[in-house]
Amino acid sequence: MAQLSDIANEFVRQEIEEFIEREDERQHIIDLYAKASQQMQDIAASIIDGDNDSSDSLTSKALDDGVDATTVMDDGLIAGMAIVGIKFRENFIFVPEVLACARAMKAGMAHVEPILSASGIKPIGKVIMGTVKGDLHDIGKNLCIMMLRGAGFEVIDLGVDTSPDDFIEAVEEHEAPVVGMSALLTTTMPNMGKTIDAFIDADLRDDVKFMVGGAPVTPEFADDMGADAYGDNAVECVDVAKLLVGSGAKV
Amino acid sequence: MKKIDQSDYDRSVARLSSLLSDIAVHAQEQSKMRCPYKNRLDQCTAKFGCRNKRKPRAKDQLPWCASDDKLDYRSAWETEPDEYVQVRDTIRKTVSRPCKNSDQPMSQVWYDRQHCPGQTGKTIFDHADDLRVRVPSSCGRSGHCHECVVEIKRGMEALSPPSEVENFLHGQYRLACQACVEKSDVDVEFSLLLRTPKILTAQDHGVIELDPVVTRRGDDVYYHDDQIDTYRGHIYGMAVDVGTTTIVAELVDLETGQSAYLSSFENPQRFGGSDVMRRISYDAGEFQGELHKVLINTLNGEIRQMCDKLSISRHEIYEFVVVGNSTMREMFFNHDVQSIGQMPYKSQVEEQYLSGQRNTTSLTEPARGLRLWANRRAQVFGAPIIASHVGGDVAAGLLAMDMARQTEVVMFVDVGTNSEVVIGHKDRLIAASCPAGPAFEGGLVRFGMPGCDGAIESVRYRDGRFICQTIGQTEPRGICGSGLIDLLAELRRHDLMTPKGVFADKAKHFDIIPEHGITFSRNDASELAQAKAANYCGQIILMRKFGIRPDQVAKLYLAGGFANYVDSVRAVEIGFIAPVSPDRIVKIGNAAAQGALQMLLSKHARQSIERLVRKIEHVELETTADFFEVFVEGCQFKPMHFPSQPRHQEPK
Repeated sequence: MAQLSDIANEFVRQEIEEFIEREDERQHIIDLYAKASQQMQDIAASIIDGDNDSSDSLTSKALDDGVDATTVMDDGLIAGMAIVGIKFRENFIFVPEVLACARAMKAGMAHVEPILSASGIKPIGKVIMGTVKGDLHDIGKNLCIMMLRGAGFEVIDLGVDTSPDDFIEAVEEHEAPVVGMSALLTTTMPNMGKTIDAFIDADLRDDVKFMVGGAPVTPEFADDMGADAYGDNAVECVDVAKLLVGSGAKV
Repeated sequence: MKKIDQSDYDRSVARLSSLLSDIAVHAQEQSKMRCPYKNRLDQCTAKFGCRNKRKPRAKDQLPWCASDDKLDYRSAWETEPDEYVQVRDTIRKTVSRPCKNSDQPMSQVWYDRQHCPGQTGKTIFDHADDLRVRVPSSCGRSGHCHECVVEIKRGMEALSPPSEVENFLHGQYRLACQACVEKSDVDVEFSLLLRTPKILTAQDHGVIELDPVVTRRGDDVYYHDDQIDTYRGHIYGMAVDVGTTTIVAELVDLETGQSAYLSSFENPQRFGGSDVMRRISYDAGEFQGELHKVLINTLNGEIRQMCDKLSISRHEIYEFVVVGNSTMREMFFNHDVQSIGQMPYKSQVEEQYLSGQRNTTSLTEPARGLRLWANRRAQVFGAPIIASHVGGDVAAGLLAMDMARQTEVVMFVDVGTNSEVVIGHKDRLIAASCPAGPAFEGGLVRFGMPGCDGAIESVRYRDGRFICQTIGQTEPRGICGSGLIDLLAELRRHDLMTPKGVFADKAKHFDIIPEHGITFSRNDASELAQAKAANYCGQIILMRKFGIRPDQVAKLYLAGGFANYVDSVRAVEIGFIAPVSPDRIVKIGNAAAQGALQMLLSKHARQSIERLVRKIEHVELETTADFFEVFVEGCQFKPMHFPSQPRHQEPK
């Protein structure tokens, strides 16, 4: 059984000491980190800290040094997220902090991706995501993106306040088969329908599948406005996207 | 560059996905209570406007968030929600598909800036549920507790006419459980009454000998004789009085005994009912554990705020002392409370104590297990209970009064929805709990209300009219406990009411403040008579049992709730408290919080309370042979009657 002192990285040690209170979980995490090299612990620390510059440079360096990409993912990036998950569950950090950590993980994953494609591993699908015109509420969408990327999707994030033209342009440029739209206000919800309309006008409706979500959106609204699928939350979003990718939309 | 094996990669992705799923599920759950844009420093990360946003506390900081996590934060986001119908229409216009549903107009029910579709046949309470707005209630929505009063800001015409039980309300006020949406073409908007009770807190700590459990020895911190931490600059402890209605938490420096922060707030469990029996049955249902959670979460929120304001770390808090009635204490410790709700009303801890499985009813558990925001090694001490419903709060109150050293016979009356009475001296003590109900606390009486702004707190009758004083000097909205006692006494003094509650000249009601429509009916008098009778029974049966008359009581200590504001002469006149002369009546404020503090600061106090509770004999009032006769006698508005002795004369 590994001891806390077996972990070389001081920041990680402090994090475990301070935030992981359940004994079994604590031992599990200590074992996980103790078997990782200090270089991997450093990567994990940058994820926990939400520091995307460090995670970017550390991951790049580790891969250049010849560390396995799987090891970088497991012992570095995912190990970091494991502690983030616990801190979040115990209310030590909240959604904005989690999203910063997810961003740091993405910065690390960016260096893993070329190796994936060189190994013949393709993303399971490409998704365009954005909040609709007039809507600045992006946290639900950001959680969806975190989930999609974690599940192996390539996501093009158009951010907030996305006009129908921006969506069309992105679909044409990236040839993505799935578009995810989110709206949080009853006032901006109609813009989902307008966006779908714009795709019809541009004769592109058959090229893409639309999935929609957001607090005021219901399956009935989704149906009314002509969307292909509705997801209630970030977990469902991944299931829905998998379904849409599998349903034979053009790639 | 080494290639990645597909199956290795799939395994990693599966692990990551499961981690992230847990995060997403927790995020969704949490977003019901806490705005997701609020970071761990309670700062706002939103890029849009919100009414809860406040100026950054320092340069280069994000704005901070003023929301209290209690109600749906979404209403604060600055948006201009269109009406549902309009939105639906716009969608239909923009979409070429044919509509499936009929074009029936749909009205909305609004609360603040949130709304949901109005459904005919459903009450405002049901709609509030849809909107996740917590409306207080303790009568199972039957219209009797009067807690779910809402103000209808518009759309009264869409609601069912007021029912019989709502006749105490006028103007735009309704009971949420009674008002049904009847028309589907008019929007309804409601709001809750904001009630911030006058909260009683510890008055004076007196001198307590410093002898805490957590001490500093050199550079180390010790809990008893265990080294638990290295010294971080302070050693704090917290005394918590968990009342059914109000919670008082005091942070104390255990090295100096100085109070560092005092906080009091409403018990957040109100949505589970306003008395302990309702909460016990709530905790039996599908939301078991919810009441414990909300209690700890709210306390953690207070602790965070204290830490923030005092610039201290949670790691410097090493101990908690918790007092409360049996139900509140067990809920705090997340124990099953069901056995307290049924005969013989004993908690599992008490049953274990009585069967010899444990040698005290006090509890000591790690704070970590309760998820309290404190040092990892912090401990929580739950004060021992007396018996059944008579809990550690009463014991703490007795500790604060130094009951262990009282040589004369004293009486302790803690007035509340559940009143407690203790009589005795250092060698013999008896205690009882009397379920008085909420009539003096705002329930059951037509214009009754808790002691908050707008409540009439004192009443005098002069020259044919009632002269009233209102808390906060605002427009009177109702009458609180001390006002009701005054009113009853004035009616008796001026022969406007018989002891049996019959009004002079066969009047059905009195206009207390005609211009505000505040009245007092015979029915109100009868509700108060029964609540008073419970207090009466407790005091008189215990005095009898102890073999003592009021004139032999050296001191009558009045604690809790509105007791501090009561006119004791008038309270004696109507038989609310025993006829003890006013100079021997002592109002002691929140004695329970004071006792908790003593236990926090002194090991000796903890030993004293253990000895004290063992000494107390618990009396089950209902099992007294002539309980019913005593109760009926107690319903009369006159000084307590002691047959063995000539009636005690009150000084005028």
